Amino acid sequence: MKNYNVVGHSVRRFDAVEKATGTATFTTDIKLPGMLYGKVLRSPHPHARIISIDTTEAEKMPGVKAAATYKNTPRVKYNGAATSMITLPPMAPVEDQYVFDNVVRYVGDEVAAVAAISEAVAEAALKLIKVEYEALPAVYDPLEAVSPATPEVHKECREGKNISGDLTKLNMGDVEKGFAECDVVIEDTFKVPVQKQVQMETQSAVAQVGLDGKITVWSTTQAPHPCKMILSKVFNIPQSKLRVLNPPYIGGGFGVRIGFSGKAEPIAVALSMLAKRPVKVVYTREEDFIASDTRHAGYITVKLGAKKDGAFHCIDMNATLNTGAYASWGVEAPAVLGCMGLAVYRIPNQNYIGRSVYTNTTPAGAMRGFGNPQGIFALESAVDMIAEKLGMDPVELRLKNIIQVGDPWVLPYQCASTGLAECIERGAKSIGWERRSKLNRPGDKILRGIGIGVGTHCSNAWPWFGDYSNAYVTVHQDGSVHLATGVPDMGTGTSTTLPQILAEALGVELESVSITFADTQATPFEIGSHASRTCYCAGNAVVAAAQDVRKQLLDYAAELLKVPPEKLDIKNSIIYIMGETAVDCSCSCAPVRQISLKEIAWRAHQQNKQFIGVGRIIPENAPPWHAHLAEVEVDTETGQVRVIKVVAAHDAGKVINPVIVEGQIQGGVLQGVGYAISEEIRYNDKGKQLHDAFHKYMLPTAEDVPEMEAIIVETNEPTGPFGAKGVGECGMVPTAPAITNAFYNATGIRLKEIPLTQEKVFMALKERA
Amino acid sequence: MSVILTFTLNGEITEVAVSPSDTLLDILRDKLNLVGSKKGCGKGECGACTVIMNGEAVNSCLVPALKASGANVETIEGIGSVEKFHPLQESFMDLGAIQCGFCTPGMIMSSKALLDKNPNPAREDVREAISGNICRCTGYVKIEEAVLDAAKKLQERPARRG
Repeated sequence: MKNYNVVGHSVRRFDAVEKATGTATFTTDIKLPGMLYGKVLRSPHPHARIISIDTTEAEKMPGVKAAATYKNTPRVKYNGAATSMITLPPMAPVEDQYVFDNVVRYVGDEVAAVAAISEAVAEAALKLIKVEYEALPAVYDPLEAVSPATPEVHKECREGKNISGDLTKLNMGDVEKGFAECDVVIEDTFKVPVQKQVQMETQSAVAQVGLDGKITVWSTTQAPHPCKMILSKVFNIPQSKLRVLNPPYIGGGFGVRIGFSGKAEPIAVALSMLAKRPVKVVYTREEDFIASDTRHAGYITVKLGAKKDGAFHCIDMNATLNTGAYASWGVEAPAVLGCMGLAVYRIPNQNYIGRSVYTNTTPAGAMRGFGNPQGIFALESAVDMIAEKLGMDPVELRLKNIIQVGDPWVLPYQCASTGLAECIERGAKSIGWERRSKLNRPGDKILRGIGIGVGTHCSNAWPWFGDYSNAYVTVHQDGSVHLATGVPDMGTGTSTTLPQILAEALGVELESVSITFADTQATPFEIGSHASRTCYCAGNAVVAAAQDVRKQLLDYAAELLKVPPEKLDIKNSIIYIMGETAVDCSCSCAPVRQISLKEIAWRAHQQNKQFIGVGRIIPENAPPWHAHLAEVEVDTETGQVRVIKVVAAHDAGKVINPVIVEGQIQGGVLQGVGYAISEEIRYNDKGKQLHDAFHKYMLPTAEDVPEMEAIIVETNEPTGPFGAKGVGECGMVPTAPAITNAFYNATGIRLKEIPLTQEKVFMALKERA
Repeated sequence: MSVILTFTLNGEITEVAVSPSDTLLDILRDKLNLVGSKKGCGKGECGACTVIMNGEAVNSCLVPALKASGANVETIEGIGSVEKFHPLQESFMDLGAIQCGFCTPGMIMSSKALLDKNPNPAREDVREAISGNICRCTGYVKIEEAVLDAAKKLQERPARRG
């Protein structure tokens, strides 16, 4: 693979100094003159109609400046997820919620909000709001919610009762005929839990309404431009009068705020309009847990058939996901689940139907992997089950069946690169796959096992919704270069990797590049940082902008150097004639054979010209690949599962910054470990979330981290910037099945429901004994 | 009702008017505008607000402000500068231990409290020291490496310790 000057190097992050010294600004740090604090009254009922609501007493309280309810806020239906602004026709976005409504649909649903001079005053005022509810029947399980006897969460469901939007139907070949031709068939249903992103900074926004009607919103959104568009629709304000920006940092995301951050933005705007002062809304951790999007829970059924020799021949999958009280990304999550589930293996006959269902629980939306970890847990469990039935080694079976470049699949783009075979082989070698059958002796109380899970993902949001990217590159009068891009950096390193791509594509020194990001007023449109798209899509736009400005520079230099522009190149910020060595020459030796960016930018300035590049791209898409191998230990006396080691081998195309990519993989893997063995939000029979705080929601701490090895398998993806593909979500994708397959290898028990909590494992071991 | 709290903050005697219900974190962030210490939960469960008080790492969101009376408090703002970073800051920056950055100040302060007491920690000591600091981005791997790396740097440069 080609060596580059800047790309492929683990340069120090651009945001490192600010973040290491505590000077990086987050939304929660913002304080404006005259700023008020907003607090939200939330429903104690899972489903109820508001008979009456009275804020008079609350508004009389000293220090209270505004109160908002459904009565004095816009009656405009919206969907707070960016999907509402980028859904591609003929599909239509599901718009099913108001800023406040007179019906509440889950415990935590927004009822009212107040703005006051302090958080304490605002909280006290909430207690003075009088609300009379008429309780309505509630439903919590998605399979129950589609049955005739259960209540309707929303009335307008054109695909059937409580079905939140379009179904996803995928088909290739002939499934009926296909199964008839199989020698071995397995079928089972798997259940997946509610997982929470638990990003460190809770949902937050500060809104400032100017006297001229312009509104500025600093927030934790992962998608400032779509966030601006949704606000524009809800509040009926031209987009040109709205500015949404990150300040510039966000304390994590993992999908929870691709669009609105819960309702922090619209509530802050509504209160600020009423109070005519800036308003800050910061969710408590409990509010974040119960009232911002979660991962979809649900059921996935897999029927998989193979020929005697192990060749997969037919698959039928279906998924019913629980999207909670509002659709959010409910249409797209089962779509991605199906597409990614069917994209891993070469199977001539395929069928998938996926749907999301409303229930009276916290809305489910996007979380790292976006449906894919759910489907892959089911699929990769099924692959191990059929391997056993075929009497084949799970690694061999996967190597035999994985998709190769050019294979037909259900996706409308090509598989143009895959390093999956190498990922599997290197991962298996590293974990010591051959030890698999020799880990335990009769009588062992602690059992060990090794398992594998593999998968793929996307590098942007198309074809599930619209996706395009823009970037501006400006050469300043001293030759330094500025990049403007609409994507945030929620911690994934965008504000470093995009400058790396620019420096490489333009031929300038990284130190001369600065970046503005995630500000709708200073950057062109971007759909945001999600879908593992930022480096791939925004990166491609940066390359395009760099090429544009490079052409302008070379054309200009060609006249000065009296050679055709095709003979010129730029290296280390110096334009030189190819074939002649570029030297940093500042003397006035004649004839001029080269010119620095500094000099040419200044000359152009003196002739009333600036070099400004614009990049506009519509991306292809590309599959990253990954194989995870896990070793676990199961205590047969207590039921405790410990993950000892995870090897995560990833093909992310050409890696722009290896340390950043390793960090993405490691962080994703640990979230996957939590998904597999400990993390879930459950509900009591009154619809109350039982896991609404750090000490109740069992996410891994530093003491739970297994030995982790990230293996980077580089391929060259022809559609990506310098060959790069997505990686952000991938660490999450196949971790759970690697662990559950290892659990099966240790115990011989196939649990079809995650997480493998101590209680669940203990009961399963007891049942078998 | 407010009371004057006097304490040593990052080496300087500091006086600030506080109300009895204020926490140390409230004072740092709202009154003294030191917003490096973060509020991730307000209940002592995530460690984002960790500061060092009299040599111990504490969740400043759980410390009543008046408890800091006469105490020696160190925050992320006081341990290094762009001219002279603390070795922990250098290692966090160089080894990729920082992603979103929201846990970073608390993580560095918990680690500093450890290294101040135990300049040669084992991996398990590091894990225990930061076990109250939640990080959702990194999987802790590079943070652990950074703390061990900083310990090594401090060992090599004993003059800069403390």
